[in-house]
Amino acid sequence: MESLQEIIKVQGLVKRYGDFTAVDGSEFSVHKGEVFGLLGPNGAGKTTTLEMLVGLRKPDDGTAMVGGFDITRELDKVKEVIGVQLQSTTLFELLTVEEILHLYGSFYRDHISIPDLIEDMLLTEKKDSRIKGLSGGQKQRLAIALALVHDPQIIFLDEPTTGLDPQARRTLWDIILRLKDRGKTVVLTTHYMDEAHVLCDRIAIMDQGKLIALDTPGELVKNLQSDSAVEFRFDEEADVVLEEIEAVKQVGSQKDVHILYTDDLQKTLTSLIATASEKELKLVDLQTRTATLEDVFIHMTGRRLREG
Amino acid sequence: MRAYYQLTLAQLRIFLRNRQVLFWTLAFPIFLMIMLGSFLGNGNGISLTVAVVDQDKSEQSKVLVEELKKNKAISIEKSSDEKDMLQQLKDGDLQLVVTIPEGYGKSVGAGGNAEPFKLPVYYNETNLTVSQVGLQLVNNAVDTISKKQVDYKPAVVTDSKGVEALNLRYIDFLVPGIVAMMIMSNNMNGVAGQISSWRERGILRRMQGTTLKASTFIAAQITARFMLNGLQAMIVLGVAWAVFGIEVRGSWLTVIAFVTLGTLAFMAIGFIIAGIAKTPESAGPIAGFLSFPMLFLGGVFFPIKDMPEFLQPIVQILPIAHLSHALRETMNVGASFMNLGMEAVILGCWLVGAFIAASFTFKWE
Repeated sequence: MESLQEIIKVQGLVKRYGDFTAVDGSEFSVHKGEVFGLLGPNGAGKTTTLEMLVGLRKPDDGTAMVGGFDITRELDKVKEVIGVQLQSTTLFELLTVEEILHLYGSFYRDHISIPDLIEDMLLTEKKDSRIKGLSGGQKQRLAIALALVHDPQIIFLDEPTTGLDPQARRTLWDIILRLKDRGKTVVLTTHYMDEAHVLCDRIAIMDQGKLIALDTPGELVKNLQSDSAVEFRFDEEADVVLEEIEAVKQVGSQKDVHILYTDDLQKTLTSLIATASEKELKLVDLQTRTATLEDVFIHMTGRRLREG
Repeated sequence: MRAYYQLTLAQLRIFLRNRQVLFWTLAFPIFLMIMLGSFLGNGNGISLTVAVVDQDKSEQSKVLVEELKKNKAISIEKSSDEKDMLQQLKDGDLQLVVTIPEGYGKSVGAGGNAEPFKLPVYYNETNLTVSQVGLQLVNNAVDTISKKQVDYKPAVVTDSKGVEALNLRYIDFLVPGIVAMMIMSNNMNGVAGQISSWRERGILRRMQGTTLKASTFIAAQITARFMLNGLQAMIVLGVAWAVFGIEVRGSWLTVIAFVTLGTLAFMAIGFIIAGIAKTPESAGPIAGFLSFPMLFLGGVFFPIKDMPEFLQPIVQILPIAHLSHALRETMNVGASFMNLGMEAVILGCWLVGAFIAASFTFKWE
C-alpha cells in the first residue's frame, strides 16, 4: 500500500436504527483506481455503509473522506466527484433513455457527451425507447450510465447485477472492468462470490454490521489454509465428532450440511467414509471442491452468504 | 438553471405522455360543468310554490290571489285544506302557505281607519333563505292591495332597471367554481399523489444522490404544473364559452393572477400531504379528506350564503372559497384585482403558510 493513493478513507462509521446497529464502526480505505468490493449476506450493513458514503444517510458516529472531502461537512463537493447507482431504483418511466440522461446531466455543472455514453453502455438501439420498455439488464446499464454522466472519479454500485440473467451479468462485468481500465475507482456491493472474485481487486467482508476481513480475493482464500472443501449431509441425526476425521483443518456446519476443510483430500475422504460405515450412517449429497470466497465467509461467520 | 429547465421539460413530457391522467383530469370538470349546466343552468335559482287557502271566497280575496299570481317567480296552488297544506310545507313540498281567513273581504272592503287585517302566512324556518324571498314577494302583493285601498300616491318610487350584464344564470355561477375545483384537485391531489409515489419508488432518492437542490426540483415542479393547469383552465373556459356563452367580464390578468395564486397555494398544500403521507396509498385518502369538504363547503356548486350559520366561520377560511369567489367576481361582475384584495391576501397567507409547512415536512425519502 506504499505508493497507493487513498481515495476513500472510512473512519469509524456507525449507523443505528433504534436498538439495532446496522453498521458498527467500519474502518477501511479504498485506493485510487481499484475495484473495491463489499461482500456479505443481506442485512450485513453493506448498503447502509455505501449509502452513508454517498450522503443518503447521516452516520450516527464517525466520518469518511471521499475524493478528499468529508462526507459530513462537504457533502456537496463529495456529490460532484461521485456517481451512484442505487439498489432497486426506478426512474421516470415515461421518459426515453436519451431524455433522462440529458436530465441527469443537467443536475451537474458539466456532463460528458450523451451519445458517447449511450454507445459505451450499449444502449444506442434503445436511445429513443421509453424506460418502461427496457429489460432488466438495459435498465441496470442505464442506471450505471446515469452514475457516469458527469464523469466522476469514484463510482458506487449497489448490487449492480442482482436479479439479472447470466448473460446480462457478464455484460455488466465487462462494463465495470472497462471503467477500471479508464482509471475510475469503483466501490460495489454484492453477495455473489464469483462476481467479487472476477471484479474486485480487494474485498471487505461484512457481517452483522462489522468488517470481518479485508484483502485481495486470492489472499482471503489462501488464509483459509486449506485448498479443498468436502460438503455432505448425513441421512439422519448423527453423533460424530467431525474434527477427529483425518487431515481436517476446519469444520463448517450449518443446519444439517457439514463442510470439512482440508489440504489432503484423499485422506479426509477415506477417513470420512470409514467413519460413516463404522457408525452405519449414510452420506448424502457428497461433493468436493476447491475452497472459494464462500468458504472464507462460512469459516469466518459459520453462515452462508445467501441463506436458503 | 439548466436543471430547472430540464426538470420542467421532463415533467411536461411526463404529463403529456400520461394520456389517461391528462384526459380524465380534463374530462371530469367539463363533464360536470355540462351536466350541471344543462340541468340547472337556465333556472333563475329559486322557484317558489305558494299554497293559498281561500276560506273567505270573496271578491277581495280573489283580487289578492290575482295579485300574487302576477309574480312570475311564484307558482300558486289553490286549496281548501289548510292542514294538508301545512303538512306539505313541513315536508318541504311547499315554500309558503297563505291563508285568507273568513272576514277578509269584509274587513278590507270596509277600509278606513280600522285595525289592519292580519293575514297569516306560514313558512318553514329550516329553509330560511327561500322563505324570506317568498315572504318578501307576498308582502309586495299585500302592499299593492293596501295601497290601492287607501288610494295611496307615493312620493318617491324606485325605478328598477334590470341590467342585462348582471342577469346571472346558474351556469355563470358554476363555471368559476368548476375552474376553482379543477385547480384544487389537480394541484393538491396531483402533487400529493405524484410526489409520494416518486418517493416510494426511490426516484427522489436517486436525485438526492446528485448535486440537484430541492429548491430547483420544487421550482420546476411548480412551473410545469402551473403551465399545465393554466392550459386546462383555458380549455374549460373555452368550452364554457362555446357551449354556454360564458365570458370573462373582468380583466384576464386578474383571472390569471388568481389562477396563479390558487395553483401555488394548493400545490403547497399538496406538498404538505406528500410529506405527511407515508405511502402513496395513504396520500389519496388524505387529499380526499381535505378536498371533499372544500368541494361542498367552499362555494363551488352552491353559494356560501346558503351554508348553515354555524359552518360560516369554517367556510370563510377555506382557500377554495376565496378562490372561487374571486374568480366569480372577476368573471361575472368584472371586479378588478384591487377590489379583491381581501381574497388575494387570504390566498397569499395560505400560500406562504403552506410553503413554510411544506418545507418542514418535505422529505426526499
